[in-house]
Amino acid sequence: MTVAANTIAEDDAIRSTRFRKEREDGWKRLDTLVTTAEKRGVQGMSYEDTLALASLYRQAMNSLSVARAISMDRALLRYLEALCARAYLVVYAPQESVTGVLGRLFTHGIPQAARRSGTALFIGFLAMMLGAFTGYMLYLQDPAWFFTFVPGGLADGRTPSASTEYLRRTLFDTSTRSSEALGLFASYLFSHNTQVAILTFALGIFVTLPSFILTYYNGLILGAFFAMFAQAGLGYELLGWLSIHGVTELSAICVACAGGAQMGLAVLLPGNRTRRAALRDRGRDAVKLMILAGLMLIVAAFVEGFLRQLVQSTELRLVIGWGLGLMWLAWLLLSGRDGPRS
Amino acid sequence: MTTTTVTKRHGLRRLENYLPPEGVPIAFDIAGLGARFGAQFLDILITFGSVLALVWFLAWLDLLGWSAFVTLFVLLIFFVRIPYYVLAELVWNGRTLGKRMVRIRVISADGTRLTPYQVTARNLMKEVEVFTPITLLFGAANFQWPVTIAIFIWTFGTLFVPLFNKRRQRLGDMVAGTLVVDQPKAVLMPDLTEAATGTAKSARFDFDPSHLGIYGRYELQVLEQILREPPKTPEARTRITEVVKTILAKIDYPEHVAHAEEWDFLLEFYRQQREYLESRHLFGDSRENKFHSRGPGDGGTKNPGGQTPRT
Repeated sequence: MTVAANTIAEDDAIRSTRFRKEREDGWKRLDTLVTTAEKRGVQGMSYEDTLALASLYRQAMNSLSVARAISMDRALLRYLEALCARAYLVVYAPQESVTGVLGRLFTHGIPQAARRSGTALFIGFLAMMLGAFTGYMLYLQDPAWFFTFVPGGLADGRTPSASTEYLRRTLFDTSTRSSEALGLFASYLFSHNTQVAILTFALGIFVTLPSFILTYYNGLILGAFFAMFAQAGLGYELLGWLSIHGVTELSAICVACAGGAQMGLAVLLPGNRTRRAALRDRGRDAVKLMILAGLMLIVAAFVEGFLRQLVQSTELRLVIGWGLGLMWLAWLLLSGRDGPRS
Repeated sequence: MTTTTVTKRHGLRRLENYLPPEGVPIAFDIAGLGARFGAQFLDILITFGSVLALVWFLAWLDLLGWSAFVTLFVLLIFFVRIPYYVLAELVWNGRTLGKRMVRIRVISADGTRLTPYQVTARNLMKEVEVFTPITLLFGAANFQWPVTIAIFIWTFGTLFVPLFNKRRQRLGDMVAGTLVVDQPKAVLMPDLTEAATGTAKSARFDFDPSHLGIYGRYELQVLEQILREPPKTPEARTRITEVVKTILAKIDYPEHVAHAEEWDFLLEFYRQQREYLESRHLFGDSRENKFHSRGPGDGGTKNPGGQTPRT
């Protein structure tokens, strides 16, 4: 720009043209850098290029601000706006590493979210317990209710008319103990249960009610099952059979429901904020609860798929199941008390 | 909380006053619903297509046992529902493969960077908005009619949510505080004042303030648009002649402009008009359009470029 031949021509050019000429090379450089970053990500760029990207981005922002004040060239303004927007998206890309995000989530994010979500968790567990209670009482009144609540596929022959011997066999089944089949069972359980949990969670946005109903329905099945086995004199054994994975699995469904309830409450009772703002705010905890539920379901599926078939003693089943439950509780209550709110 | 505004022009919604940390507002085009639908469709096609292809390939190789095979299939199907979208949008900064193809992307609505939380939240809601309704629709024939109707209401209800808000957010976007916008395209056009043949001293046409004081910014930018597309057909050339005639009459320019000189005349007029308007603007005399001389409170403010005055 300081070449003598150029200066004469530049003096004749109008102000906004001179402005453009002085900065154009920087914009073009930024354009190529942004294009590379869009294709390969900032990680693939050299140190110098990354530095240049950041400073050229700020210069371009500055140019845009000045150009808006002095230039009436609409094409130039549009170009700078688009260039700045593209560069902005590259410069302000998410920068957390996946491991860093996960680490923070487990040590602080999830436990803190769970401790903040008392009301929602109460709603979740309440739905399940109310359901179980209703299911139990209705079954005692009339066993025919069982067929109303429990879908045929889930019952699998375990109906009120089944013999005590058959019911006992379903609790202590040893025929399918090959490890291959167990792995398949575990993966199926995980996939199925997680989808139920995600649905329970996501439906919560419709003012909590669908989440509540789904969880309540899960409770109904549970209650009816329990009543059936209790009448056959197998209540204690069923408790062991259910506990080993159920403490974790059913809690996970309740937690997912709590996540849904968080969002539903935001829509229903936004307080002093707009519904949208409340949703955004509460959504943070809700999503963390959902991740927690997913995690619990992975563990539950593993336990249900492998351990339940391998461990046949009711006492041991109770110990493992409730021990796991205590571990979840300890993690959620004690972890992340030190760090900043995240 | 957010300062953004949405303006609608020619059916395109533009998100304005989007404020990055640098404090200079920028603008984005909000992605059309067609593009978003297309991206979702492509994503489903790609993910489920590749799972099926992989499964066929493995079945053809016949290395895995039956149960390991089904285990893999179940886990893959699970993966391509929610986790794929979360991971893709995290790694590619708000773009899944489908979004990359139709050139749209997710941004945070408040000008900060997109956080992992936002990406997770908006995609978890996809289960309610996309996958469950689709699954149910496939099975709709098996249900009784009230259930079928409920499913249809649900499906179309969530489908229409983006239609009823200015920023075209679906439920997941509202929860997460995100927006879907078009990938900005930046094309640097040449500066038209450079194309004008003459310099100030040797200009063939010379305009004095009485000629340049007529038009405002709006007319200048309309002229810029005309000049960016040199005429190729005879009709376009007659249109240029008309434009020149209108300008000559309007500014009361004394000289005659020959047919061959028309393009140069327009370029030169553009250059001098822009220089004049820009310097007036710097002195605090902004002229939005040709009604500027009527003064504020009169026609000048009533027609802020919205009306289409003839050049």
